[in-house]
Amino acid sequence: MKKRKTVFVEGPILPSFIANSIEKHQTKTTIGAHDIFLGQVRADEIEGKKVTAIAYSAYTEMAEEKLEQIREATFASYDLTCMHIYHSLGTVKTGEICLFVFVSSAHRKVAFDALEYLVEKIKKEVPIFGKEIFADETHVWKVNKV
Amino acid sequence: MELKIIYFGMIAEAISRTEEIILVPEYCDLNKLYELLKNRYKQLHKLSFTIAVDKEIPSDNKILIPKNEIALLPPFSGG
Repeated sequence: MKKRKTVFVEGPILPSFIANSIEKHQTKTTIGAHDIFLGQVRADEIEGKKVTAIAYSAYTEMAEEKLEQIREATFASYDLTCMHIYHSLGTVKTGEICLFVFVSSAHRKVAFDALEYLVEKIKKEVPIFGKEIFADETHVWKVNKV
Repeated sequence: MELKIIYFGMIAEAISRTEEIILVPEYCDLNKLYELLKNRYKQLHKLSFTIAVDKEIPSDNKILIPKNEIALLPPFSGG
């Protein structure tokens, strides 16, 4: 079996990690356009209580398989040079980054389109579960809007 | 026959377990398993979930076998 790419990161995805990832692509000079999606934990107010963090869990093995299928489908449909997906597990506080999707191609249009396709697929098809935690330590389970 | 079931997220929380082995009739299919699990756990009546078999969500009903990896998945909320 071929080695899967690492997707899951324990805790928030740090801005320095993202900067570092951008820097690594400076040697790939066929790239003319990068597009990046960053998912940030929002302080939603639910029944008068404010969300302070999301605790993420996943059916990790299925999620990795699903992401691999999504990666292959995206590469087949869009002329990308590279593609990176990182998602948090564990606790991510409001304002912190929980999803980092990074696509690169020769020209902008492909990068824009591929990124939207990818993010929508990830939200819809990958078994990741977010628990919204309030300041008083109670919680509700988050459900993605379709 | 015995089936190993794994539970995630709000489903695991609602029924207070993350996995178990349950006894089901031979040739138990997916529809039958839905029924058995809903009878076993009243909590599942008001929760939305899908069943994954071997890390895929089957589009049709299918006969289950003991070596299947069966998982109850609540709605996804990544990103």
